[in-house]
Parts: sequence; C-alpha cells; structure tokens
Amino acid sequence: MKLGRRRLFEAAAALTIAFELDGCAPTANRALPARPLAAGPPFEPNAYLRVHASGAITLYATRLEMGQGIRTLLPVMLAEELDVDLAQVTIETAIPGPRFSGVRLHTGGSGSSREAFRKLRSAGAAAREMLTGAAAKTWRVDATTCTTERGRVLHPTTGRALGYGELVPLARTMPVPSAPTLKPVAAWTKLGKRQKRVNGHDIVTGKVRYGMDVRVPGMVFAAVMRTPTLGGRVKSVDDAAARAIPGVLGVHRVSAGIHPGVAVVAIDTWTALRARDALKVEWEASPIDGFDSERFLAELPNAFKGTLVEVRHEGDARAQIAAAPRRFEATYVYPFQAHASLETMNCTAHVRNGEVEVWAPTQTDVRSIEMAAKVAHCPKEKVTLHCELMGGGFGRRLYADFVGEAVELSVATKKPVQLVYSRADDMRSGYFQPATAQRFTAGLDARGRITGLVHDATASTLTIDELHEGKDIWHDPPKRGPVDYAADERPWGAFDNPYELASLRLDCADVTSPVPTGPWRAVEYPSTVFARESFLDELAHLAKVDPIAYRLELLPPGIKAIGPYKIDRARLARVLEIARTRSGWNTPLAPREGQVVGRGVAANVYSGNSYVAMVVEVAVAKDLSKLRVERALTVVDCGAALNPLGIEGQTESGIAWGLSATLLGKMNFVNGRPVQSGYGDFRVLRIDAMPRVETVIVENPDGMPAGYGEHPVPLVAPAVANAVYAACGKRVRALPITAEALRRA
Amino acid sequence: MPVFRLTVNGASHEIDADAQMPLLWVLRDRLGLFGTRFGCGVGECGACTVLEGEQAVRGCMVTIADAAGHAYTTIEGLSERADHPCQRAWLEEDVAQCGFCQAGMILETAALLRAKPAPTDADIDEALGGHVCRCGTYDRLRRAVKIAASYAKAGKR
Repeated sequence: MKLGRRRLFEAAAALTIAFELDGCAPTANRALPARPLAAGPPFEPNAYLRVHASGAITLYATRLEMGQGIRTLLPVMLAEELDVDLAQVTIETAIPGPRFSGVRLHTGGSGSSREAFRKLRSAGAAAREMLTGAAAKTWRVDATTCTTERGRVLHPTTGRALGYGELVPLARTMPVPSAPTLKPVAAWTKLGKRQKRVNGHDIVTGKVRYGMDVRVPGMVFAAVMRTPTLGGRVKSVDDAAARAIPGVLGVHRVSAGIHPGVAVVAIDTWTALRARDALKVEWEASPIDGFDSERFLAELPNAFKGTLVEVRHEGDARAQIAAAPRRFEATYVYPFQAHASLETMNCTAHVRNGEVEVWAPTQTDVRSIEMAAKVAHCPKEKVTLHCELMGGGFGRRLYADFVGEAVELSVATKKPVQLVYSRADDMRSGYFQPATAQRFTAGLDARGRITGLVHDATASTLTIDELHEGKDIWHDPPKRGPVDYAADERPWGAFDNPYELASLRLDCADVTSPVPTGPWRAVEYPSTVFARESFLDELAHLAKVDPIAYRLELLPPGIKAIGPYKIDRARLARVLEIARTRSGWNTPLAPREGQVVGRGVAANVYSGNSYVAMVVEVAVAKDLSKLRVERALTVVDCGAALNPLGIEGQTESGIAWGLSATLLGKMNFVNGRPVQSGYGDFRVLRIDAMPRVETVIVENPDGMPAGYGEHPVPLVAPAVANAVYAACGKRVRALPITAEALRRA
Repeated sequence: MPVFRLTVNGASHEIDADAQMPLLWVLRDRLGLFGTRFGCGVGECGACTVLEGEQAVRGCMVTIADAAGHAYTTIEGLSERADHPCQRAWLEEDVAQCGFCQAGMILETAALLRAKPAPTDADIDEALGGHVCRCGTYDRLRRAVKIAASYAKAGKR
C-alpha cells in the first residue's frame, strides 16, 4: 500500500471522463494510486474502475474487508457485467477523497453487498457498452451486432475481435451511458456461483498484510497505559523505570481515545509494551468506582417501573392482557459483551507539514478522517487515509478512538507512530455491547394463543458516540433527552417484531450505564431476539403446541409494513418450514447414556430484508455438569444468493460468534473496572465446541440481495436456550448458559 | 546487548537484542516476518505459532535466549507456492475469513500431521484447541486438517 510515488507517476496519465453514478463524483484528474500495469493512459468510465491499456482491470473497492468476504464479492459483481475473467481484476482500496465524494467507505450493518449490487454492476455494464461502442466505431459496424466475452469485444459475423486494452484510447472518447443495460439473472455466469476468497493464497503463505503490519520509514512504536477504572484520570506519573529501558524514546500523555492515558514510545513494539508496563501511574478516584455490572444486571428490570417511551402500539395490548383468562410474564437479561477481535486495535499515523497520513484497520473512513483532522487541527482535506485489512472487526472498528491516539502521538513525537493495543488493552479499553433486560407479558386465550403482548425493553444510548465527540461521560455526563425510538426504528428485533399479534405494545426504558457502549455484531438483535424467541417458545410449551407450529400460526401470508420495512411473512414461514423438514424436527433424537438431548428453534427477519430460521440440537449431561451444542441447521432467504460459499461461511462464523456469547463469554465490571483481560478469562468458542453446521440457502434469485454478515448471530442464543429446555426442562433467561446457570434454573 | 544466532526458514541470523525479547517480536519487528501474528502475547490464542524443528511452539512464549541455536519455520517458510498439504487443503476448503489466526493454525496442523499422520477428531481438538479463531472457521478447519492428512499421505506414496 505504499503508493505515494505511483500517485505522482499516474497523475499525468489519467484522463477525466465525467460520469455520474449514484452520487459518485465524476472521475477527476486527481488520479488514484494504481499500479502502472502498462504504458498509456487508462480508461476510467467511472470512479469504481480503471481499464488499463494492458487489458487489466482495477476495481476501487468502497467496502472494507474484515473477513466477511466483501472483497471477494465486489469483483464478481463488476466482472459479471464487464465480461472479464475474475483473474483480470485487481482490487485497490478506494482512498477517501474527492473521487468518491458522496460515497462512504463505511462498512457495517450488513449492507455492503446490497448497496454495491446495483452500483458495481452498473459501473461494469457502462464500461462494457463504451468498449463495445469503441469497437463498433473501429469496425464501422452497428454496436448491437457486437458481443463481449472474457475481456474482448467480438464481431461474430466477421470473426473480428479486439481486447479491452486495445480499445482503451477510443473508449475514453465514447459517451457515458446514463442507464446501462444489466444482464438478466438467468445470464449470470459468476454471480450466484461459489467463489473462494480472493486473498486465500496470500493468507496461507503469510503474504497478507493487516494494519499491524504497516511499516513506514522512520517509524516508532507506542503502547498506552490507560485508566484501569472507567472514568479515571491521571494524577501523577513516575516514568523513571520505563525511561530506563533501552529503546524507550519518550513518554507522553494521551487523551484522544476513549480513556486518558500515558504512552511510551519506543524503537519497537515489544519495548513499547514492556516499558508501558513499567510505568507507575497514580489515578484520581473515579466518580463511578462503585459500578458493579452484576448488580446493574440484577437491577435492570427495575427500569420498567420508571418512565417508558412508547415505540410501537397496535391495538390495546394492556386491555387484552387484563381481560385474558391467563397471563404469562418473563424477563430476559443479556450481559455486556466485548468484541475481542484477534487483531488488537492499532493504527499508524504520520503528521507532518500540516498534513496527516493514517494507515488504519478500520471499518469507517468518515470517522477516521474526522478524528485525525480534529486531533491534528487540520482540515479534513489534509488527511490521507489508507484503509488496511482488518484481523476482524465485528463493530469495534466502526469508531476511531485508536486513530485519534495514534495521531496525537505523531503530533507529539513528530514521527510516524504505530500504536498497538495489547490484548488486555483491547479487552478493557474499548466499548461494549450494552447489557439489556427484556420483559414480555402475554395475555393468553383458553387455547394458549396470544391475545395481547407487551414488550418492555431497556435500551441504551451508545455512549461511544459521545466519547468519540470528546465528551467525558463520567465526570460531566451529557444531558440525554428521551430517545425517539420509534423514529430511530429501534430497538432492532423489538421494533421490527415480525409476528402477527392480536395486539402489541412495545415500550422502552432508557438505561445508560457508565460502560462505554457501541455496536457489536448484529447490534441490538442478539438481546431482543434472544428474549422474543425464548418467550415464544415458553408460550408454545404452555399451550402444549409445537414451537414451530406456534410460530407459523403467527405468520399468516402477507406483507407487514413496519416503519421502513415490508416484512413478507410468507418468506419467514417458509424458512421455518424448511428448517422443520431439513432438521428432522419431528423425528425424536436417539436417547443417550448419561445425557438428555433436545432441539430448539428460533427465527428472525433482519432489517426487513433477510429471513433466517435456525434449529440446534443439544446434549446435556443428566447431572447438568455439561452442555454441548452438537448441530446447528440454518435456513436463509437473503434474496439473491450472490456467493453461496460466502453465505455458508458467514453462517458458520455467526454460529461460532453466537455460541461464544451464549455459552461462555461476558464482560464484568467490578468497582468500575473491566475485569476480563484476554481469552483466558473472556472465553470464546474453540474448535472442540464447534457444532456440525449445515446451511440451507433458499433459492430466491430475483430478490434484491440482503446482507448476511451478522444475520445468523441473534438466532443462536434463543435456539440453544430452547433446545436446553426441550432437553432437560431448564429455562435459562440470562446469558451465558453455563452449567451453574442450568443448576440454578 | 548480547547477540543471538538462530535459523529462520533456512537462513541464519545474528540478532542483537534483550535476552527476554520474545521470538514473536524478533520475527515481526526485527526480521519483518509479519505472517507470525500478535493476538495476545500470553500464549492463549495461538496466532504466533511457529515450528521449532518439527514442534509447534508459541512465538510469544519463547525468548530469543531460548531460541538461540534452534531452527524455526514460519508461515513464510512453509511453501511460498502454497503446495504444502496444509496450504492446499486450506485453499481447497476456503477456510480463512479474516485470516489473522490462520498461519498459526496451519503450522500447528503441520506439526500435528508429522506426529499423527491420521489424526482423530480428538487429536484435532487437542492440537487446535489452544487456538482462537474469532471468525469461527472451525468447521472448515476440521475438514481441512483431514484433507491435509490425506494429501500428506498421498504425497508419501
């Protein structure tokens, strides 16, 4: 990614062709860095691609890769319409700036494939039409008599052919089509096929580079000691021992991140890390040093006695419940969670001559640039951001606190600085999935069917937004007005409850803790869906109705409009029905020596566009000492399945992620201090506990593709909780589902 | 500072460093071998696994003083053409997602297959149970280990 010189080289060569594409700026003469693959100016019909005179194609990817596979899928979208081999396409990361004005390089919320689907295909189709037009002009034939194939324009009746590279000079002069014709789905040869990861070879040979591997001349390395207590401030620093370590270059205060701290800058990473540990820092008492997360969780349901914000009211659920012959209520608690991506937070920054260059493994260009500009006191235009490959993201890299710290240290040292978080830094100094409580109350008729449902949810301000703005949420808590959840279409999974209910009332209680909170994989869905799908299971058992049949009764065919979403209940019913068949739901599991076994189900619609059902099988030791999830079957209808291999991979990934939170991990705070420090005490799933995973993709080729990076995650906890109940009759309403939780249930 | 001599991927190196410097950081910050990853630094994740002779060791748990005189293989030294049975199997199964943990997993599997050419599921759990993949590639990983075993066996015939 060290392309500064190439940028100069290319600047004279690129040519401007005005082309408006979905808010994308016309290609400016401000050339992007790109490999000079052949002499002669390339053809750039729009900002997304460049056709070189050699025939090679460069795709400027506007989505960032963290393992979800978007960098594998984007070239397929382009190559499908451009009619080139995938091997011809090279990916460069789009560098934020005027060329992509109006286009965010922001990767989160499972929206990438959906958003790129039309843009990249249109970009490819437009280029193909222009190249075809250039060939037709050369041959003096009608463009409609020409075809394209594997990077060439053909004229079948005369047997002539010209490579795209040869057509570059003339193609640059062709008019840009305003509405290029896209291929019908039936003509796809690449989309919808199983595509392996583009950087697989680089990964298995060790050539792949992440943010932590960035090296620039003259760079130094830094590690920061941050407050051990949320809200702590530096009182005094004794850095004598740290400075005495050979290789230490300096000690600096930092304040641009989530927490204030003291940084050691050194000649290499290890020296920085160990000298940081040698700092003796005294901290002022924190105003929240009494915060205890277990007590917070226990007291969460008290919030429902306070002020509730109305979110979604359909019918008079309270009256229905009051009039019902039977009522049932249950409360579910979801703890704080950490991201714990394997690559810890890191960033390399170089501030010089009023300009900032940043190399960051980040999910967000917008916040990274804003943060760098703010800390370096320069205009955003003076920030050059290189978005590096991420060793996992999961929502943690959607904010740029660590970018701010790196820029701050480069300002202080006047050198390029790489800041690296240790594992403990990463665990304790980030932000967390907020803990919630969800209380459901149902009125039931004589047959156990719902007449009214009241869902009271706690929801939290994501305090990382405030922290990112530089606010001190501990000493000077910002005034937070009542959140308009209905306008925000939140909480996800509660607001968009997909079921047909005789009456429904959803209210929210704001409970913002002193814990820094922010997005985590699938954001609010994991907590709300755990509660909703567990509660439905409880109601089904009360009614003595099969849990899948009970749900299907609540999914009459038809479109339910909820806020911006149009939920097609028939699609949700269909994935449930397929899950029933493919899991062998109606065939009892074979009995085992010393164990009880059971199946559980859960279903969800994610952002109104992707329909998922999951059935898991668990085995529980009769003495409740052990719980094993043995099989997880997922049925997904995410519209057009653009890369089935990628969808299977995200299912496997979502199940592993969900099982870590369901069975093992949670983040605790005692006396205001984050407790867990690594994979030893914040346990995550390992290979020995991975179940057998099966993914069934429902054919829906004409549907708009929906994202899928997060979608399986929310189903895991309720499917497991429901399977545990089916196996041993224990209902666990708080995560994680440990042996101890089973014994207490 | 003392000078230590060690062999990495067949090349001999003399390195002037603090005796306590972990091999992980020697490889990354001194030799530029970035395929050895920093995930935890305390032996809990396996991302920095390298081969010491034929044994898999954690680069973060071996000091340069301990490493002196030994020969190591990192992911860069396994096969640049990706024709080692593990690399072929990994590509065949498209195991990796973010890929950050995979070098450690591949080298651990290479060591496993030398010790146990036909590993059982329990063998795989034991060998790879010390590794974390936060993307959750474990299902494909297990299949890839078995495929790698079959490639290694076929290669010996």
